[in-house]
Amino acid sequence: MSWTVRLTWWDKLLLAVMAAGAAIAVVRYGGGIGSVANINNAYPWGWWVGYGIMTAIALGGVGFTITGLVEILGRHRYHALLRPAVLMGLLCYSSAIVMLMVELGRPWKVWMILVSWAPSAALYEVGWCAFLYLNVLVLEFAEVPLQQLGWARALKIIRVVYLPIMLLGVTLSHLHQSSLGTLLTLIPHKIHSLWWSDQLPLLFLVSAIMAGPAMAILEHLAAARWLGFEPRLDMLAGLARIEAWLVGLFLVFQIGDLVWRGAVGAMLGGTWFALSFWIEVGAGLLVPLVLLMMPEARQSRGGLAAACGLIVVGVLLHRLNVAVVGLRVRHWETYVPSLGEVGITLGITAGAVFAFGVLARILPIHEEMSALRVRQPRPSAVPSMAGGS
Amino acid sequence: MTVPSAKPKAMIQDNTRCIGCRACMVACKSWNDRPADHTEFFAGDGYQNPRDLDANNYTLITFNEITTGARPNWVFGRQLCMHCDQPACASACPTTALTKTPLGPVVFNEWRCIGCRACMQACPFLIPKYDYESLAPKIHKCTFCADRLEAGLKPACATVCPTGAITFGDREDMVTEAKRRIAAAPGTYIPEIYGLDEVGGTSVLHLSSVPFAQIGYITGLPKTPMPDLTHRWLRVTPHVFGLLYGLFAALTWIVHRRSRRQEHGPT
Repeated sequence: MSWTVRLTWWDKLLLAVMAAGAAIAVVRYGGGIGSVANINNAYPWGWWVGYGIMTAIALGGVGFTITGLVEILGRHRYHALLRPAVLMGLLCYSSAIVMLMVELGRPWKVWMILVSWAPSAALYEVGWCAFLYLNVLVLEFAEVPLQQLGWARALKIIRVVYLPIMLLGVTLSHLHQSSLGTLLTLIPHKIHSLWWSDQLPLLFLVSAIMAGPAMAILEHLAAARWLGFEPRLDMLAGLARIEAWLVGLFLVFQIGDLVWRGAVGAMLGGTWFALSFWIEVGAGLLVPLVLLMMPEARQSRGGLAAACGLIVVGVLLHRLNVAVVGLRVRHWETYVPSLGEVGITLGITAGAVFAFGVLARILPIHEEMSALRVRQPRPSAVPSMAGGS
Repeated sequence: MTVPSAKPKAMIQDNTRCIGCRACMVACKSWNDRPADHTEFFAGDGYQNPRDLDANNYTLITFNEITTGARPNWVFGRQLCMHCDQPACASACPTTALTKTPLGPVVFNEWRCIGCRACMQACPFLIPKYDYESLAPKIHKCTFCADRLEAGLKPACATVCPTGAITFGDREDMVTEAKRRIAAAPGTYIPEIYGLDEVGGTSVLHLSSVPFAQIGYITGLPKTPMPDLTHRWLRVTPHVFGLLYGLFAALTWIVHRRSRRQEHGPT
């Protein structure tokens, strides 16, 4: 296998977006956060935290979800999704770290979390768990490049520690995914009753688990298309069935919690908050749930892509609604993300997608690819592979 | 120099005595070395200037036009850090850059701050502010003049108030004094001390002639400390960690054994 990658038109587009993001980042480091961002004293957390950190971490939950499904619950029919899931987790967490370096006011002090003792702070736990889990992800993924490099000794060590490390990763994920919600239980009077709940830790955990299969299915469909293998629709249909249960579980949990807390009135009121809530629940849960309950949608690429895409958007909307939209501050205060804020996050996301695309072409991430390599690859389907067979 | 008594301090902000001269704001700026701002008047409720606290204004007298009796009147309110007994901001800080000191002030340690702004998100009173334009931004809020308190002095604002609207002393004495004032002049005060048990009690106690919601105060806050809400979850974390790790290990073992049996089982 060759280590060189011929850049496609898509790669170049991603590189351009990354360059634009980097240019905005230069302005941010030169002139302060205020020079590019609209976050303000009333909305200290905006798009950067809502999307760049909270959503990135939730979507990175694909790593522990698929790992848990395959390695702990022993569903080996989904084994083909494991390596892509771990790599996606690794890149999501890495992108959250990059975002943090942009978003923190004093990024050069971030190590301070590791030398502090602040067990009462949810962010302290999130910081520690995410830091440890990032290392776990590196170790979990290390097998792939080590195999490729042929470093037998290191590979042997990695394989010995894999099981305890894998269990550690799944455990740490449960802790910090929920702690991100714990963080926000602190401000019941400040977050609108549609989103504040003392169950936020569990809501965040369940929605991160729900994001996992959706991300894995989307990745498989995308990889099949861009790398040129046949998607294993039977496998995806099986995972989509599990996903339907997860979406249903989260929906029942979220709505049940609202009813339990007596917030049904807020749900049915004619406010912007209620509208935002219904977009979140309607587009992010109800529509994908209906789609996933239809066997023909579970069997089709279009149906799966639509349902899973909406689930991912729904998780984003939930995080944004809890941390940004649902905030009740002085009534004259407003926040709309600036182009600079969105631009930097697009650059970071583009970087993660680009890294995934390159690694997927030089490393054996997809089982289907090695099958392709044995046979003759269709020349039209793998234009980007430089001597790939 | 007098040795300050180690008892927790508090301040009474008696809004019924406030004439809106804003000497406290000037003294605060002066002691804390905050620059002047270019401000603008705004339309809407309240006529104070600036409109809200920010990185250069640690305290603010709010001007509220309220009809009392037959005619509209100015009723003043004041915003400043409440210095909670169990501060949400400090509990949210992952690096303990904010701490509650024994004398009462909740103080900020610039050296430890990473700039995550969790304290701003956490504060029920919307107090901590940020200097977003700075390259080394800090959290800005009233310090309760912690440095002056250490030296046995009153906070700067309390020294300059010409009408005695700001009273400083031991918290237990201040609580007694606040109650005495309300009892002595029930027509002047509403029977409520803002800060007595809001979020579990604070080091600033506000008195008013009108309901606090009318003069821009955040009302409806719980009477229990805010950190209790997260503590419930966070204190079980080590146990959950051990429990989940054990559970996942057991599950893995059971599932593996079952699949191995199926592989090597009777054919």
